[in-house]
Amino acid sequence: MAHMVEDARIFDAGRLLEVVILVLMATGAVFVFSAGANVSTNYDLQRFYDFTTLKQMLFFPLAVIAMYVASMVDYRRFGFGGGAIRSLTPYLLVLSMILLAAVLVPGIGIERNFSRRWLGVWIGPAFVTFQPSELAKWSVVFALAAFTSRFAQSMGRFWKRFVPPCLVAGAIVGLIITQDFGTAAFISLLTFLMLLAGGARLWHFLTPLPAVAVGFYYAVVTSPTRINRVKDFFDPDIISHQARQSLIAIASGGIWGKGLGRGVSKYGHLPEDTTDFIFAIIAEEMGFVGAVGVIVLFVAFVVLGMVIIHRCRDRFGKLLATGIVLSIAIQAAINIGVVTVVLPTKGIPLPFISAGGTSMLVSAAAVGVLLNIARGGGGLLSCDQRIDLLEATAIDSRSGGGTG
Amino acid sequence: MKTRVIILIMLAGLVVVFGLLGWRLFYLQHSRIEHYRDTSKRQQHAVVSITPRRGQILDRHGRVLAASNRVKTVFVEPRAIASIDDVKEIASGLQLIVDIPGNEICGMILDSRNPGFAPILTGVTPAQSETIADAGFVGVGVQSNWRRYYPMGPLTSHLVGLAGVDQSGLEGVELKYDSKLTPGKGRDVFFVDALRRPIGMKDSDSAGTDGSNLVLTIDSTIQQFVREALLKQLKAYQAESATAIVMDPWTGAILAMVSLPDYDPDDCSKTDPENMRNRAVSDTFEPGSIFKPIVAAIALDEAVLTRTEKIFCENGYYAKFRIGEWANNRYGDMTVAQILTESSNIGMAKIGQKLGPKRLHDGVKLFGFGAKTAVDLPGETRGVLHPPDKWSSYSVTRIPYGHEITVTAVQVVRAFAILANGGSPVKPHILRAVVAPSGEIEELYEPAGLAGFVVSTEVANWIVREALTSVVNEGTGTAAAIDGCDVFGKTGTANIALASGKGYDTTNYTASFVGGAPAQNPTVVILVSIRKPNKALDKGYSGGRVAAPVFREILEKTLACLENK
Repeated sequence: MAHMVEDARIFDAGRLLEVVILVLMATGAVFVFSAGANVSTNYDLQRFYDFTTLKQMLFFPLAVIAMYVASMVDYRRFGFGGGAIRSLTPYLLVLSMILLAAVLVPGIGIERNFSRRWLGVWIGPAFVTFQPSELAKWSVVFALAAFTSRFAQSMGRFWKRFVPPCLVAGAIVGLIITQDFGTAAFISLLTFLMLLAGGARLWHFLTPLPAVAVGFYYAVVTSPTRINRVKDFFDPDIISHQARQSLIAIASGGIWGKGLGRGVSKYGHLPEDTTDFIFAIIAEEMGFVGAVGVIVLFVAFVVLGMVIIHRCRDRFGKLLATGIVLSIAIQAAINIGVVTVVLPTKGIPLPFISAGGTSMLVSAAAVGVLLNIARGGGGLLSCDQRIDLLEATAIDSRSGGGTG
Repeated sequence: MKTRVIILIMLAGLVVVFGLLGWRLFYLQHSRIEHYRDTSKRQQHAVVSITPRRGQILDRHGRVLAASNRVKTVFVEPRAIASIDDVKEIASGLQLIVDIPGNEICGMILDSRNPGFAPILTGVTPAQSETIADAGFVGVGVQSNWRRYYPMGPLTSHLVGLAGVDQSGLEGVELKYDSKLTPGKGRDVFFVDALRRPIGMKDSDSAGTDGSNLVLTIDSTIQQFVREALLKQLKAYQAESATAIVMDPWTGAILAMVSLPDYDPDDCSKTDPENMRNRAVSDTFEPGSIFKPIVAAIALDEAVLTRTEKIFCENGYYAKFRIGEWANNRYGDMTVAQILTESSNIGMAKIGQKLGPKRLHDGVKLFGFGAKTAVDLPGETRGVLHPPDKWSSYSVTRIPYGHEITVTAVQVVRAFAILANGGSPVKPHILRAVVAPSGEIEELYEPAGLAGFVVSTEVANWIVREALTSVVNEGTGTAAAIDGCDVFGKTGTANIALASGKGYDTTNYTASFVGGAPAQNPTVVILVSIRKPNKALDKGYSGGRVAAPVFREILEKTLACLENK
């Protein structure tokens, strides 16, 4: 059956998606380098790793390797088809939670800008920092895809099929929310969308809503910066410095832009220019044409993702691909929304483009999984195992039918 | 099936969201670009204004009277230096370069009243400035400013005037023609980072334009010997002040104008402000006898007397109007030529009576008295010529010999220029041309040709060629005579009115001589006026004695000078 589908393909969606992602990563490398320009910088190769811009150049090939390696792993190894113990996903979840808990311990977690979000490891001469919430996000997506496809027939059951994943996701969100509200909210949103796509009933979502609302309200009210961000956003007269600088950068680019490397905002005028606000630098230097070009790449990513989801014959693959596409595309949309000041400021990077190693590597690995789905699985698993897994899925379908 | 629909809706929704974001971008980058570009300019631009060179001032032969040059000043910004040790380090580093003892430099930095600027040395050489830049001291800089130089020093001080430290005119031509001399400012617009450090990109620049150069009618050679001769006499007679003007009678061009005492424009901080006044245009005085030829010309022109008509000079005292003669001379019947030659006050008083107040007043007014000559120098005054209805019964007899009227030196020279050129008005001026920095002439003051008459040419020529020539040849002005050249002129020894306004000072006089040569076709008119020569020296105080020799020296040298052209 798989062969028949392959013959019917007019184009290879996986290959095109790969190209889109590589172009996005290359764009990111170029603009992180451009935005990193600084009046007083003196390039010293001894301190190579200290420069965001050069570090990012290093991440480009690493991300490509991560993507390739991930694409060699059969995606079904993440599913619960062969039993939860044989799946990689639970281990990812547990690892994420341990790392998230470790980040919260003072002395282990690294604090920057009053938030403790990073773990640090010395690898040879370089001090590598790592953001566990990025990993946690993907483990939630994988776990929900695995869970909802494994129990596809019984997703209508509230206590057995809706509450447990909510508790797991809630635990992870709870670990993140104190330090990184944006990512926590984003994981909550992904959980909602994944459960909805996975067959949860709409009324299910009404039950935790009061708890989520209270939690959200509490999180906003306890942090003065968050209150201000929200207040500022709803007051048309007050526009935060960051937002105004972002609008100046974007609008002054005009239709054709100031030219690559010729932006001015990056010289200290626009904070976070290499990370969360890199899109404003692209808009300033490449203009409307370049900025829309980036949006078109993300749209292409979504469309190719839809094709891959459509062509995938396996429920777990479909849900996992949906999770990956949604999580990257929504992140991009939120980031661009923040930068163009249609959303309040949140710490969400632009996937593949913003500087930041963890996000880049983990997203690349996720896309690698998506590529594997596009190929219809295969890779590092033996043929026997593959048959076992397929049988297991079939058994699940039958047993699921039985319970439903 | 349901899952597929939900996934489709989600992803399609995302595509729509991306579309909306693209629309938002278009709104910002197309419709709002002007608004945000303006906002960005305020924070991302830094403007450095560039002041190009102020125009030069040159004499009629192109000799430099005023010019601007760049001068470099090494300075320290005291607030930028953290500790006393750093001050010492800078001082010890700078002392090797600028050759000022380190402890003095420390003092300059620590005692500076301005925390942002403590000048250490002005006029550092390019090599020094480079060494300082290479040394890279924090808080030390070299600033380049324009400085105005006056290579002629006091010689043309009152004419050229002064420009201040901000390169704007304060006195003289520098003030009068400030707008022509002032350069068009340029500016560099840089992009700067958030700390306002330049990022090496220029938005726009304009170099500005240098100021235009001025060519004056002054001949600095003539100016030089006029000043020397006048200064010599001023000292010899211990006089209070003196002025001299040399003018081309046909154009009104001023060839030389000296007012003593003067000052050094390069170093005038301690100069008495009195000395900075250009007395030749700003000070008024009662002209005395040098005024007589003017009134005589008016009377002849009005035909109230003829050249041959005899006027009885009352034998030395005109009792009715209480007028005596100079040196108690007693004259009987004299013609107008004799009256001028002997400088009879009584004769002139009677000529005044023949004219009557109205014609006398109007005639004098036509010669330009009581009004500004519009010479292109600042600070000119008009003098006092009362209208006839304010005159006393004596006025009509006093004005003809130069009292009850005050004049400026430049008015007198202009009036004699009118006589010398055959009766036509001229406008005294000092600017000959305005020359662009490129060398192109922007404005040229060509003599427009004479037009109109104040008195008839016949009368003017007769006064100059006959009456005033005999003053020099046989009258009071013999000290002004030159061999081989017909000189015309008139002496004047005027009483100085008391400051109280009642009566005259009996010991102080204004000794003047005004005239020119050659009488047949005058090329120059010269006025020399020396105020308050010291009578106690017993060397004399009259115009013929004090002013005429100066006039003669100036005339001789000027004629030689003009002939060599």
